[in-house]
Amino acid sequence: MFADGLFIVFATLAVLGAVGLVLFRHPMNGAMSFVVTLISLAGLYALLSAKLIFALQLIVYAGAIMSLIVFIIMFLNIQPDDLPQEEMKLFYVLVSAIVVCPIGLLLAKIVKSLPVHSTAIMGNKFGGVKEVGLLLFRDWLIPFEIVSILLLVSLVGAVILAGKRGTTK
Amino acid sequence: MMHGYLYLSIILFCLGIVGVVARRNVFTVFMSIELMLNAANLVFVTFARVHENIDGHVLAMMVMAVAAAEAALALAVVILLHKHKSKLDTNVFSLLKG
Repeated sequence: MFADGLFIVFATLAVLGAVGLVLFRHPMNGAMSFVVTLISLAGLYALLSAKLIFALQLIVYAGAIMSLIVFIIMFLNIQPDDLPQEEMKLFYVLVSAIVVCPIGLLLAKIVKSLPVHSTAIMGNKFGGVKEVGLLLFRDWLIPFEIVSILLLVSLVGAVILAGKRGTTK
Repeated sequence: MMHGYLYLSIILFCLGIVGVVARRNVFTVFMSIELMLNAANLVFVTFARVHENIDGHVLAMMVMAVAAAEAALALAVVILLHKHKSKLDTNVFSLLKG
């Protein structure tokens, strides 16, 4: 089936991008491979017929947040000497993978016990702007307003933190 | 088919934990946290599709907004630390150690 093939392609790309993020030495390479993960996750959202989340993932995550991160990486002008010397990186990655493995296996066992549902692509009336917007402004109005306050606070905090002058030693 | 999405999300979450634990670069640690948030988002959207209930989409949007706020603050802190120490190593940032 066409959707299954697309799922396999996107899932492979997402996992490869995440592995690249963990293994690349320079953060710019890591950020670029993380963008691959984010875009393939957007494709998976589209396969799950979440049209609004698909667009938001591309615009907000792969667009705004990642461009902010890449901008800061370039702004700091990182030379290869500035990067931490991680001689034991592969060892640490291997050890933490061994430690994390039981958690993943437990979660996989939980998932295995769930009943099977179809996730075939749905047409209209699911996941579009209208449905999500109605729900957001009816049932989720207070969380929405709280998130707007959170964004305002983080904006002010970022300006105050990054714009500090005369405190460098 | 639903299981594939959940397994993928488990894999991504575990990779995020590995990135946070094993790496010492501030940016890589930060992006690994974003990776874990994305794995959680994938579960929200998957279960929203399975139960045909849009609440999961709204929660995914909330997570995205929190991730954006976190990105702005975390990057400001990284700039400040880089200004003080001119390093990106998490082991160097030990100002709070007694």
